[in-house]
Amino acid sequence: MLRFTLFRVASLVPVLLALSVLVFLVSHFGGGDPVHAYLGANASQDAVEATRARLGLDDPLVVQYWNYVSGILTGDLGQSLSTRRSVSSELATRIPATLELALATVVLSILIGVGLARAYALDGRGAGWLRFVLFSAASAPAFLVATAGVVLLAVQVDLLPVSGRTSYGASEGLTGLYVLDGLLTGNLAYSLDALKHLALPALAGSLGPGVALARVLADGLSTNLASKHAQTARSLGETESQVLRRHGLRNAASPALSLLGVQVGMMLSSLVVVESIFSWNGLGQYLVRAINTADTSTVATVSLLLGATYVVINTLVDLGLAALDPRARLS
Amino acid sequence: MPSSPEALVLRRLGRRAVRSPGRGAGVPRLGVRVPYVLLGLLVLAAVVGPWLSPYRTDVPSGEAYLAPFSAGHLLGTDNLGLDLATRVLSGMRISLFAAVVVTGVAAVVGLVVGTLAGYAGGWVDSLLMRVTDLFLAFPATIVAMAIVAGLGPGLTSSMIGISVVWWPLYARIVRGEVRRASRSLHVEAARTSGTTGWRLLTRHVVPTVLPTVLVTASLDIGAVVMTLAALAFIGLGSPAPSPELGLMASGGMDYVLSAWWIPVVPGIAVGVLALIFNYVGDSVRTTLRAKEA
Repeated sequence: MLRFTLFRVASLVPVLLALSVLVFLVSHFGGGDPVHAYLGANASQDAVEATRARLGLDDPLVVQYWNYVSGILTGDLGQSLSTRRSVSSELATRIPATLELALATVVLSILIGVGLARAYALDGRGAGWLRFVLFSAASAPAFLVATAGVVLLAVQVDLLPVSGRTSYGASEGLTGLYVLDGLLTGNLAYSLDALKHLALPALAGSLGPGVALARVLADGLSTNLASKHAQTARSLGETESQVLRRHGLRNAASPALSLLGVQVGMMLSSLVVVESIFSWNGLGQYLVRAINTADTSTVATVSLLLGATYVVINTLVDLGLAALDPRARLS
Repeated sequence: MPSSPEALVLRRLGRRAVRSPGRGAGVPRLGVRVPYVLLGLLVLAAVVGPWLSPYRTDVPSGEAYLAPFSAGHLLGTDNLGLDLATRVLSGMRISLFAAVVVTGVAAVVGLVVGTLAGYAGGWVDSLLMRVTDLFLAFPATIVAMAIVAGLGPGLTSSMIGISVVWWPLYARIVRGEVRRASRSLHVEAARTSGTTGWRLLTRHVVPTVLPTVLVTASLDIGAVVMTLAALAFIGLGSPAPSPELGLMASGGMDYVLSAWWIPVVPGIAVGVLALIFNYVGDSVRTTLRAKEA
């Protein structure tokens, strides 16, 4: 297991390197001229050249790449060409916002997944219809769930707020996760308000992954509980709950965890959509704004950040899988 | 943008062991033929519908703005007085076309790369598979977003961006199948009877791989539809007033409080497309399995 862990962690390096090269090249060769976007269309030739030199855009490609990577490694993410502020300082408040939403989305996905898996595995009248409804729900795009949620829960019954992270303003320092900050400072009303603001965005991001998780989990459970080894275990006198724990859940957890790993990538991209719908001041909204203002270097930085997060999470999932099932270490 | 869980698990497991996951026991049955009938109706509506409609997608009818469902406007009108039903049908036509092209390109590129790697073996195999693994390790949609942002927004850019991140899955699957097929009895037999090279490949190896590619592709189209819609939603698709479903939904969000149908109707259209393709993929698999058995 130690060798496997070391191998998986070491193999992160070339992947992250390749991702940075890819993102760098895309932002370098694609899109418009960042200098013109920065100075405006009427800039003089002299000003353009001076700015190019100042931003290091005249350097050889390898030097530019080196500056880009070493900047990222030292935490200097450069300046946003559209807002003219340092990207690091803008990200400092946005990363916790996205982290809070992402955590809520993952937790809610798992709750939905495990909860529905039981309903899904049910037999009897109405089960077919339930499956049909759930199967359909998995095909709903995040923005439809978000819109429907706004229409039903926010507009019709006025139960939940439609945008922002809180009605009060930024939390007092600490973690930047508003719900947690409220709890840490003993301000329960603040936490509750932040939680209410979290509900719709998290639901929009987690319904699809949750239903998908439920299907895989229910499928794995029903297959494993009917399998030969489960029958053997029963005939050897294990109780049904022992069979469920040792042979059902353990074997069904592996594909479910695997799916959850893939879904993280899906969630990251649906969070981009969800954040822009709910004016959630996070990375996704920042990325959309950078894309729409042709701020290519910021697009590159944020996509690299999201990409790297995904790669790291997937490695963690692989390690988790290997811990659950030794066969996964054989690759 | 979730698609069928099987396709997702396959995408991930593709890196390690290539196998088709078992048919989800929990998938509700519609029969084998119903999905094809639904798909036929959908294609018919998307192709013929906009043409039969008395309205155009870009010219306001001039009578009603933000109008709810009525006999004159079956799905209501938007803030410019454009008929939503007409625009949604045109949008489905765009989505269908784009998703089929993207999936087709990804499947063909993946088929070529995978066959080459699996058949050639040696360093060609190692090189191609390292590149493929690299692509599979990236979060597909985020990389697609970066590519589209780099190329400049537009439907063509979105299609290119998604194709670039989608082919490696096929390459992985095809490579595994080709290696298995190369060792199979009937290819061995063809080889001993003197068939070699190109002919062996196209006549005996590739045909055994095609069913798997077809199943994966038909399960994937729904996911591509959703990805395209998401890219259009965040402004990476065609500019307004194109009737792209994601674009219509994001533009409609401004009116969600007064005229909820403007963002909801195109969103439902995306969901319906994805759902029908999920069912079609399931049916293709069932049909091919039955043939094999």
